[in-house]
Amino acid sequence: MTSELVEKLKSGLKGNITVISDDGVNDVVVLSDKKLIKSAAELIKGTHDILFMLTIVDRNPNFELNYLFSNYRNKNIIILRVNITQDDYKIDTVSKVFPSADWEEREAYDLFGIEFKGHPDLRRILLPEDWPGHPLRKDFEVTDDVRNWTGLDLKF
Amino acid sequence: MNLESEEKNAADEFSYPGLGDVIFMKAEKFIETVLNWGRGWSLWPVTFGTSCCAIEMMTFGATKVDADRMGVLFVGDSPRQSDLILVSGTITKKMARRLINVYEQMPSPKYVVAVGACNISGGLYHDSYNTIAGIDRIMQVDVHIPGCPPRPEQFQDAVKVLRELIQKNKIERYDKRTS
Repeated sequence: MTSELVEKLKSGLKGNITVISDDGVNDVVVLSDKKLIKSAAELIKGTHDILFMLTIVDRNPNFELNYLFSNYRNKNIIILRVNITQDDYKIDTVSKVFPSADWEEREAYDLFGIEFKGHPDLRRILLPEDWPGHPLRKDFEVTDDVRNWTGLDLKF
Repeated sequence: MNLESEEKNAADEFSYPGLGDVIFMKAEKFIETVLNWGRGWSLWPVTFGTSCCAIEMMTFGATKVDADRMGVLFVGDSPRQSDLILVSGTITKKMARRLINVYEQMPSPKYVVAVGACNISGGLYHDSYNTIAGIDRIMQVDVHIPGCPPRPEQFQDAVKVLRELIQKNKIERYDKRTS
């Protein structure tokens, strides 16, 4: 059993897709070019309703982004995997296509420092606005400066 | 401290300054003592609950360990009418500013009780990047309640200890914010 959506992605994105699994229930595809993320999201929008999770894996120094899409009718899942390299930690936002990506991308920006181009409101979501660094990166170390930072020398 | 003086202290625990002492006190001190006597019996708290210690704090206010009979009335929860702040729960770095914001709205004199391990030393999160490892770093605390989380009876005990400190004029500073 093959997935219609994966076939659609293959033809729509002109071979920039590597298929890992296409059983129609849990599809996993790898997108080779990060510039195509928005058009891939628009193709997925036809059959899947929500982006329910965005996970980041730190493969030092590269990052691996996993976009997990699902729908309400039959709970099929498609995982879209994109790698971004160390020369540029930037990727286009998909929050115009899937509104739930808004906060997911803010969290990724907050904890990993990945910049989402075209995001409507790219601020930190969990940490204070002036907090130094991105704590979930592998090369982040909890030093005494980080431990003793209270942020209270500022006016509020 | 030897045994005798400890026994003496224990005997003095609930005795207020005698009539002879009071007459020869300075007027200022006398007024302060009277005011502090009243303050000790009417500690209205701000319930600053951020995590699991807050559940025990609710139990402290509920029927079994009745806080009302000790003068700790959980009314309104407005910082502008309160004397005491019960900081119960982990204080993250983002929350620290909110805590100071609430604290500075309280009228003097104000007293601080730090509840639970997270507030005393950071507890489980002492090495975290986003936790204040002990609120002593950002404000001066009068009474600590150890435990993870502490029992409601310990709140009762803390209020008793705080009342003694107030009524014996042990807490002199009015605004205790340091940073």
